[in-house]
Amino acid sequence: MDKKKLGKQIAVIALLIVLFAGLDLAIYQLFIKRVISHHTPGMQKMSVEVADYVPFTGSANVHSAEGAERLEGDLPTIDGAAALLPVYAGFVESIYPEDSVIYNGTDYDSASAMHYTNTRGCFKDIVDGNADIIICAQPSDEQLKYAADNGVELEMVPIGTDAFVFIVNANNPVNDITVDQIKGIYSGQITNWSELGGENIPIAAMHRNEGSGSQTALEKLMGDMPIVPDYTAIIGSPIGFSFRYYVTGMLEEGGVKMLKVNGVEPNIENISNGTYPIGGQFYAIYRKGETNENVYKAIDFMCSPEGQKIVEESGYVPIY
Amino acid sequence: MKDKTFVIILAVIMVVGIATTTALLIHGYNLWKEISIVEMIANWGY
Repeated sequence: MDKKKLGKQIAVIALLIVLFAGLDLAIYQLFIKRVISHHTPGMQKMSVEVADYVPFTGSANVHSAEGAERLEGDLPTIDGAAALLPVYAGFVESIYPEDSVIYNGTDYDSASAMHYTNTRGCFKDIVDGNADIIICAQPSDEQLKYAADNGVELEMVPIGTDAFVFIVNANNPVNDITVDQIKGIYSGQITNWSELGGENIPIAAMHRNEGSGSQTALEKLMGDMPIVPDYTAIIGSPIGFSFRYYVTGMLEEGGVKMLKVNGVEPNIENISNGTYPIGGQFYAIYRKGETNENVYKAIDFMCSPEGQKIVEESGYVPIY
Repeated sequence: MKDKTFVIILAVIMVVGIATTTALLIHGYNLWKEISIVEMIANWGY
């Protein structure tokens, strides 16, 4: 056997093994490691597990009003965003009859008056007539177009607010950002943390799914400026966005921090007094011309002191 | 090493390597679908 040939063969085998090992290591470091959920108690405390928010189960997570007048007759089907599940579960427990909610252990029955299909699903459902009231942040242009294309006009009644917040890793030295800088980052004009007083590290601007409540909030914030995805920043340090309620559980663990925007901290006081510049209202949305009186009764309850107390006890900021 | 043996070894390494990488990517994709953006930023580091 030719020793030279053997050496070449061994080198090829070794090279192949090293290539695969390197590739897998890179995938682990740059991707897998970042998406492993640790499900620590702080996260669980604030994350929305559907089973923890089923009305009429005695769950301590559902805050309801005692003694409120219950709806009778044609009950409006209610649905909403994941982040707002605590709010509308509380509404349902307060004013819907107990037997109107049918939960099979993993999902709501199609005959149930309460559903849970998340922001994108519930917008489709209200336009298609499968839901009568949805509790969501403002719809995206695409969702409004879907409604218009189907000849449906939507009425939006604000029932609460929260802060639209920008979050970074807790070790990031940047604590403050301006609205213009946010627009600069998501339009691709600002690409390095050093431009914001941080270190010379690329900014990885993270996005959500199209049609999600927070992605729509970003689109509204950007206005006419196009959002430019940056696929090259995977080795950088991230910035992302969410609503304050979702983030607060993580803060207790020190993994992330919310940035001040224009020097204002996104806390309940600053949201309430309007000094935090990017408030995110959420709405009870129904079809214009709705003939079911119970739709209006339910929305009146949501805007009443009892309904607003549920908003507050669920961790959001009431507006009435 | 005979050429046939070498080819078999290469083929085995390729199959195991591609399968491992694919499994890793599928696993990561499934995790990515479940994780919140908040927790991902916490994991990401600076």
